[in-house]
Amino acid sequence: MKINGVTIADTFAEAFTMRVARLVITGRTGKWAREAATKLTGFATSVIGCKCEAGIERELTPTETPDGRPGISVLFLTMDKASLPEQLIVRVGQTVLTCPTTACFDGLPDAPDRLAIGKALRVFADGFQASKVIGGKRYWRLPVMEGEFLVEETFGMLKGVGGGNFLILAEDADAALAAAEAAVAAMTGLPGVILPFPGGVVRSGSKVGSKRYKNMVATTNDPFDPTLRAITETALPDGVNSVLEIVLDGTDAPSIEAAMRAGIPAACRPGVNSITAANFGGKLGPHHFHLRKILA
Amino acid sequence: MSDAITLTLAAQPDHVLVADCIAANRFLGLDAKQIAELPVVHGGHVAKLGDFFKVRGERSSVVRIEGDVPRVDAIGAGMAGGELTIEGSVGRDLGLAISGGRIEVRGNAGDNVGGALPGAARGMTGGEIIVRGNAGDEAGARMRRGLVVVMGDGGRAMGEGMIAGTVLVFGKAGPGAGRFLKRGSIVALAAIDRPGTFRYACTYRPPHVGLLLRYLRGRADVAVADRFLTGRYERYSGDLAELGKGEILQWAGD
Repeated sequence: MKINGVTIADTFAEAFTMRVARLVITGRTGKWAREAATKLTGFATSVIGCKCEAGIERELTPTETPDGRPGISVLFLTMDKASLPEQLIVRVGQTVLTCPTTACFDGLPDAPDRLAIGKALRVFADGFQASKVIGGKRYWRLPVMEGEFLVEETFGMLKGVGGGNFLILAEDADAALAAAEAAVAAMTGLPGVILPFPGGVVRSGSKVGSKRYKNMVATTNDPFDPTLRAITETALPDGVNSVLEIVLDGTDAPSIEAAMRAGIPAACRPGVNSITAANFGGKLGPHHFHLRKILA
Repeated sequence: MSDAITLTLAAQPDHVLVADCIAANRFLGLDAKQIAELPVVHGGHVAKLGDFFKVRGERSSVVRIEGDVPRVDAIGAGMAGGELTIEGSVGRDLGLAISGGRIEVRGNAGDNVGGALPGAARGMTGGEIIVRGNAGDEAGARMRRGLVVVMGDGGRAMGEGMIAGTVLVFGKAGPGAGRFLKRGSIVALAAIDRPGTFRYACTYRPPHVGLLLRYLRGRADVAVADRFLTGRYERYSGDLAELGKGEILQWAGD
């Protein structure tokens, strides 16, 4: 299969089941909602080193938020049930609670699994907290120096998908970057999907484990490193001198498929040799995103 | 099973009619005949609901009362769920000690809306009551949880002895509002006669008030002007003769 002369490899991206929460952060202006969301999702690129993966899903208009203010929808994922509330309590407490004018709402109200995030954060108020039940939902009001911070008592948790991906193999670094930027632009704002890496792009894709260091859980994906072409078992076709990866996390597999369907064709630009994907032979992750099937 | 049950006043009561049998969730398991057989007290004598109301529909927790029933007391007492709408005005003790569901009155309501039974420590413990007209004295008194909305004027002692919950009044609130309040909020969009045992804290934009008003606008079709959604409110803490963890929030302008 080819798109704009770019070969789509007959392979699949292998992804994992993760736990996901959606947070809606509002602020007096979109700027302050974004400030909080940016801090909240900082250092959350990969569970390998960050213990969580997070990103901005999309901007919300005032008509889409519970309190009628501009907002940001954030997706937050961890590998297991226990670590999701742990991460959220610490991060919301340090980044949203602290941010002027913001409030924090649950974005998965129908999810039966509930995480007591606001309930845990309320103790910051040192006994001065107050709750309000509005429309059957409980909110906590925390007095702060600016005024009050409002946070929903519980947040929904679903089984999500982490690690959807595709790799852009290009003639040079400039072409790879331009293609990656185009793909990210095409996928930004799609519902149910985040791209957790900087600018949505990864330059240091990894393989499982290490050939040399026993304590390393992930090391450089040497078959795709162009500088190692001559000394390792390379996976790079001739003429490829730079590779960038797009990693996708989402609330469900169809959301990730939809994003890949939008992103991959956008990446098929001049200077791009082929698009492929990372997998582990299908033995590790239950979600397999076959590139050609998605794009058919 | 019907979409809704409609009660239409067939005979005007000569005396006060205590109809505490009318509760939306209670009608869910009853047919029209059984509903008509429910007991009421008329002038101190036991009677049947069907002696005064024509019943249409069955087995539904959505109940509508047609017309003005200002001499009918205790409608919705002890209600735990469902929706009850009264097209006109009602007597006292509307939604007495309710724990859930929603009651809406298109006209006025008498005293003790969402209040407590005589001698009881707690009034309503959940649910929502919306009075589109005026309310009598002691609306929301001794409320433990829930919401009382009065879109007209409130009487004396609104939210007296509240333990928690919210009373929202669009019009004037009479003297004694929030007296002996422990926790909870009285939100006043117009003039309110505050007890001296409330102390000014600050003027700010309380985020939960905007959320509440937006909810009422969307879910209950309550007309709320934008200036109340985004405006500033004066916060008075009280009752300082009690726990002092409650508040009166009075709208202070855009």
